[in-house]
Amino acid sequence: MIELQNVTKLYGKVIGVNDFTLTLGPGAYGLLGPNGSGKSTLLNLITGQLRPTLGTVRVMGESPRNNAQLFRRLGYCPGSEGLYASVSAFEWVQYLQQLQGMTRAAAAAAARTSLELVGMTSAMDRPISTYSRGMRQRTKLAQAIAHNPDFLILDEPFSGLDPVGRHELTSVLLDWIGLGKSLLFASHVLHEIESITQSFLLICGGRLLASGTAEDVHRMMVGLPNDVALRCSDPHRLAALMLQEHVVDSARVVGETVTVSTRQPARLYDQMPAWVKASGIEVWEMHSADESLQALFNSLMKMHRGEQ
Amino acid sequence: MIGNVGAVFLFEWKRSLTLPRMAWWLVLAGFPVFIVGLIRFGVDSAHPNAETDRAPRELWIGFLFALIPMLISMLGTMLWVTPAISAELERRSWVYLTVRPNGGVAVLLGKYMAAVTWVIPPALIGLLAGIILCRVSNGWQIWWALATMVCLSTPAYAAIYLFLGTVMPRRGMVLAVGYSLLFELVIGFVPALINKLTVHHHLQALLLLWCEMDIPPEFMQGAVALMGNTPEWEHLAFLLMYPPVLLTAAVAVLRASEFSSSAESDV
Repeated sequence: MIELQNVTKLYGKVIGVNDFTLTLGPGAYGLLGPNGSGKSTLLNLITGQLRPTLGTVRVMGESPRNNAQLFRRLGYCPGSEGLYASVSAFEWVQYLQQLQGMTRAAAAAAARTSLELVGMTSAMDRPISTYSRGMRQRTKLAQAIAHNPDFLILDEPFSGLDPVGRHELTSVLLDWIGLGKSLLFASHVLHEIESITQSFLLICGGRLLASGTAEDVHRMMVGLPNDVALRCSDPHRLAALMLQEHVVDSARVVGETVTVSTRQPARLYDQMPAWVKASGIEVWEMHSADESLQALFNSLMKMHRGEQ
Repeated sequence: MIGNVGAVFLFEWKRSLTLPRMAWWLVLAGFPVFIVGLIRFGVDSAHPNAETDRAPRELWIGFLFALIPMLISMLGTMLWVTPAISAELERRSWVYLTVRPNGGVAVLLGKYMAAVTWVIPPALIGLLAGIILCRVSNGWQIWWALATMVCLSTPAYAAIYLFLGTVMPRRGMVLAVGYSLLFELVIGFVPALINKLTVHHHLQALLLLWCEMDIPPEFMQGAVALMGNTPEWEHLAFLLMYPPVLLTAAVAVLRASEFSSSAESDV
């Protein structure tokens, strides 16, 4: 479905994508990488918006640059907003379907169906300027799926969605995959991709660092430091307690918050309730940033450079 | 492809039916009327008892020519067509359009058509009102000649500005203003071969040929030196060739270019 051969994209002296070689068959894939890792550049290359400086890009066996035939089979939901504020979602999706080659009537029917699929029926005749971020995100998805493409490419589709919106979008995408359609889904959040597909591509610094299943990613993350932040009534005593138990490698206290770094997150989560109960410390908030993923990328980058 | 261009054309027209755009439409139609009206008022006030018009017919025709087939056509198309791509890039909507079959080309041509059809009507209405205010003899003949020039100059200027906006979307407006001032207003008056590349030159020549103006011999010699003895059909051919040539060039530039807003490329 996608074939990239030694693809490099340079923006002047800045490398967007660096010697990227990849072959993907039909299926659903998650493109995981931190912000600025080259995900959007890669998607722009795959959708023919950009031309590789070096190497070749083939999508469904064809070059995506100015390829009208390919664009009939491709659906793309970019990361940027880019909606017309004064028109309604229905008018906008209908317009884009007309550009897809449909008649006005067929485009209207396709727009109505896709907007219904993403739960926008009740608001589709209102101007886009009145929409919430989640509604705009759904509208973006509707324009990408309205012409029933074989291959759907999504760039950060969960961005700005509330938990209900995320759940609904997840259902839509799972149904989409269930129809046997292909999907490439870029995100910087592991669990977003994990909720949709088990096939991962890890990208950082414009390079493909690793690929595999969700289990492979989790296996790689074992042993990497995991940051956990706790807001509590006595952060110094809680930090001392955790260090005493040798569960955390380091602890940092700022105000009411103690941030610890641990290589044993499972043990920490397991024992935390007992310590809290015994010590009488009140924990108001506990937050695990997805720092482990960043640590994984850092580690993979070092391996890639031969530093590990 | 034709359907795609038609879709963009209709969508752009529909989007133009907003109060600010309608106000701008009225400004385009009203501006020459306002200027000509001021001159008419000035002339009539200075000579309240004159039995004949104290301003020569050629002066009125010259004003109408400068204001309508030149200024209104240039300004109207420049403001609409030059940012055809840059407006989409700034709004970050360009990518949604270009992942459609021939989407970029359809946007370019659809916006071009919308601009041309949007600018011509106010120009013609302004011209009609201007002619009535001028009270020139053979008014309908002058209207017809200048209206034909509007229908020739608007597509030609739109094609030029669309091309400039495609070649350099981020600096398109600067380029368009620079082109208008340097080429159309300066080089258009230079008696050299290069002035044949300007729309202004051909319009001026047609003005002399079509409007039967009573020009003193010493001025006519200068005009002939500037215009040459090029036949009418050649001027028409030049003006008619601008749109197909420049639109083809713009499409070629578009297909070869990479337009991606920085926000879409997080590198």
